[in-house]
Order: sequence, then structure tokens, then C-alpha cells
Amino acid sequence: MSEAAIADALEARRRLDGPGRKPALLCYVTAVAWLLVGTVFGDYASLLFQYPDLGTSWPALTFGRIRPAHLNAMIYGWSSLAMIGTSLWLVPRLVHTPLRWPSLAMLGGVVWNVGLVLGLWLLLAGRSDGLEWLELDRFFSDPFLVIGGGLVGASILRTLLAGRPKHLYVAVWYIAASFVWFPIIFVTGNLTSFRGVEHAAVNWFYAHNALGFWLTSISLGAIYYFIPKILGRPIHSYQLSLLGFWALAFFYALNGMHHLVGGPLPSWMITTSIVASVMMVIPVAAVAVNHHMTMVGRFTALRYSPTLRFVVLGAMAYTAVSLQGIFTALTEINRITHFTHWTIAHSHVGVYAFVTMVMFGSMYYVVPRLAGREWPSARLIAWHFWLVLIGIAVYVVALTIGGVVQGLALLDPKQPFQASVDVTKPWLLVRSLSAVVLTVGHLIFAWHLFRVLRAGAEPVVFLPWYRARPIRVDEERA
Amino acid sequence: MLSPSLTVVLLVAGMGFASVVAFGWALLRGSLDDPEAQARSILDQRDLRLGRPWETELQAQERTARYGSAVEPRPGEWGGTR
Repeated sequence: MSEAAIADALEARRRLDGPGRKPALLCYVTAVAWLLVGTVFGDYASLLFQYPDLGTSWPALTFGRIRPAHLNAMIYGWSSLAMIGTSLWLVPRLVHTPLRWPSLAMLGGVVWNVGLVLGLWLLLAGRSDGLEWLELDRFFSDPFLVIGGGLVGASILRTLLAGRPKHLYVAVWYIAASFVWFPIIFVTGNLTSFRGVEHAAVNWFYAHNALGFWLTSISLGAIYYFIPKILGRPIHSYQLSLLGFWALAFFYALNGMHHLVGGPLPSWMITTSIVASVMMVIPVAAVAVNHHMTMVGRFTALRYSPTLRFVVLGAMAYTAVSLQGIFTALTEINRITHFTHWTIAHSHVGVYAFVTMVMFGSMYYVVPRLAGREWPSARLIAWHFWLVLIGIAVYVVALTIGGVVQGLALLDPKQPFQASVDVTKPWLLVRSLSAVVLTVGHLIFAWHLFRVLRAGAEPVVFLPWYRARPIRVDEERA
Repeated sequence: MLSPSLTVVLLVAGMGFASVVAFGWALLRGSLDDPEAQARSILDQRDLRLGRPWETELQAQERTARYGSAVEPRPGEWGGTR
């Protein structure tokens, strides 16, 4: 391949990235802003377990409002906007055509953010829909999310149609399907026509599918792109990747009812959900084996590529959280873990160790290609990685143990309820300390992103290929 | 038996059925044919020829033999480094 041909290939990539640059960057920047907001809410909520009287004179700072504010800022702010930004960059690359209707995508990102600001404002003011993962106001906030997501989705699906690719890479399946699934489950979850038990069932239909058909699916699409792309080798088994996607599409929707084990629902419904949850071992194993086998013999690449380091860690966490979820669906385990901190640990393995890590890795790869500037400091990337890795590992271990001892204490009829609270205290303190470590990692990441994007920063000078040389992360440290 | 759960049953069945329809459409369209080509569709010639510093000598030789002489990566090629 001649130097001119390489330059042409690079120029073609720049042309593909061009129209989607602004909407993708808007989503990334606001996502990181929400990450910081959500982190503050999360830290404060965690601190309330050590100092329960903190801020009680101001209702907006009470646990019942701060905790859902943390959850919604992280799910609809950080995770969703980071995933939308990644999708806006990834889809044009995957179908080899520039983003269509970029103004709509831009508008969609703005509208989504407006809805979230309104929703969180109302939430802190005490106006909540009162349903898990659906706390944002269904009249003044949710319509913005539906319209915003619809505008971005229209842009992405239009790009897909314009590309008319003969071969639909598995990442396209995951991402395109997510933008169809999400509005369906979100609108359904917000309908007001359900009553009583049926409403609880629809609530968990939404909440569990938001994880599987939104957060998981786009993150898996990103993993299926970045691992082969950076390693320069195709995915180990494409058939396995298709098996993973279609098994998720066919059966995942059945899973949500396992959150209601022991609840007043027909037992056949719970049992069906448990069986479907166990069946999920098939797509999970397909994805895990595929990712692992693609990496085999190339694990040293993790020293050179921060993107790969975050993404591979996220892929491992996907396997872990899925297997943990399958076991938690079993009634004997659910009997102990239900209503305990175990569930919080489990959801953080999913939304943080899996989704957030994949999004960090994606942003390390995509932002320089959109901004035309490289990340200025390998050292800051290394600090970010180790802080969030240690932070989330300590967080999950502490809350998992805390959840089990809490569950066992709750089941012991000889012990008063207070005993189940007391046994969790040391673990909740460790959780608060780990949250501080995570916060420092997030601040470093946000500061680093600001340095890449700030006006006047020196653009990267691309050396001719024969002079360019990769710089290892540990090289700068040395 | 179905009264407290009819909505969820219909929703789940609808989503599963829609996936089956999408699968049939993909099958008829030929989107699931030729998995080898699909797996390679994200890798262009430059990706395949980039010299990767983590590869063993044998892996690098295999890459060269299969795709041609190695192309030097640009700064930040692997995401995140200078």
C-alpha cells in the first residue's frame, strides 16, 4: 500500500467522521458533565449511610430524592449520552457512509439534555413517578427523552439505510436494534394505564430490558468493534457473535420478572422468567468465549492500548455480571440477596464495571478522531484507569459481602431487624471510601477531556508514517 | 391466570416475534450469509497491515505474509496514547 493510498484511506475516514463530529462531541461532553453530577449525588447518598441526619433540613438532600437523582443522572445522563455519542461515530464507520441528518442528531442531543435537566430538577423538588428506573416525570421530562432519542435514532437509522451495506456487521445489529427497542420499552414503561401488580410487572419489564436492550446492547456493539479493530484481526467466530445477538433478541425480554421472586405474581410467570434467565447463559457464553478467543495471544496489547484495556475489562465484567444475574435469579440465592445491598453491588458491576468501562475506552479512541487532537497525557490515562478499577473492585466486593451478611441477618428470626442494619455498617463505610476513589478518577478524566477539547490546544501534528512510532503508556512513566 | 400479567405477556411475545421477523428479513436479504466477509468488513487494508508492537515476531511475520509489508501506525492509533 503506497503512502498516497494510506493518505486516501485516512482522508476517507475523516470524511466519514465529519458530519457526526458536532453531535457526537455534544453527547460526549454532556455525558461527562452528567458523570460528575451523578458522582456527586452518589457520593452524597453513600455518605448518608454514615451520617443519616446530614442535610435533613433541606428535603432535596434527603436519601429518597438524592438516590434516584444519582441513578437517573448515571443511566440517562452519563451512560446513555456516552452510548449515543459512540453510536453517532460508530455507525457511519460501520456502514461506510457519513452520518445523515446530523442537525437532527444534534437537536436530539440538546432535547435529551433539556429533558434530563427538567426531570432531575423536579425529582429533587419531590416530584417523582415513583417507579424504579422510571422516576423522571412522565409529563415534563420523559417526552423530551422520547423525542430526543427519536431524533438521534432517526439520524442513525437513516444513515444505516443510506449505507445499504450488504454485510451488516454484528455491531450494527446491536446498535440499530437498541434504537428501536429503547423507545418501545421506555414509552410502555411510562404508560399510566396499569394498576397494582400489573404495574410492578411492567416496571420490571422496563427496568431489566433497559439494561439488556439499551445499555448492554450498545456496549456489546462497541466491544465487537474495538477489540478486532485494534488487534487487526477479525472476531474469533462470527457465527458465535450472531448467536449471541439473536439469542438476546429472542429471549431477553422474558427476564424481568425474576426481580419479583416472592412477589404476588402468578408463579408460572416468575418460573418462566427464571428459566429464561438461566437460558441467558447461552448468549453470555457465546460472547465471552468469542471475546476471549479473539484476545488470546494478544493480551500484551493491553499495555499499549488504553482503549483496549478499558474495553476488555468491560467485556470481562459483562460476563461476570451476567453470570451473577443468572445465579441471583435462582430462588434459593434470591431468598438471601433480595432487598439487600447485594443488588446495588450487582447493578454497579453492570452499569459501571461493564458499561462505563466500555464507554471510557470508546471515548479514548473516538475523541481524538473527532477533535483532531490526541490525549495530552498517558500518565493521566493510567491514573484514571487504576483509580476507577480499584474503586469499583473495592465497591463491589464490599457491598456484595455486606449484602450477603445483611440477607442472612434478615432471614434469622432470632435477630432483630436492627441487627441486619448493624452488620452492614463497616461494608457501607468501605463503599463510601471506594466512592471517593472513583470520584478522583472521574475528575481526572473530566479534566483530561477538557484539556483535549479546550480552544487553543495544540492540534496533533501527524508525522509521516515512516517517522511515527507508538508510545507505550508505561514509556512516559519511565 | 393471565389477568394480572396480560400486558407483560403481550409485550414480551411482541418483542420476541418482532425479533423473529427481523431475523427472517435478514436471512432472506442475505445479511447472514458469508460470515467471513462480515467479520472482515470493519477491517480495511490499512488495519490489516498496521505493524503492532505487541505482536510476537511470528505473528508479525504471519501478518506480513498474509497482507503485505507492515505499515507504521500513527500516533494515538490504538486509542488514548500520544
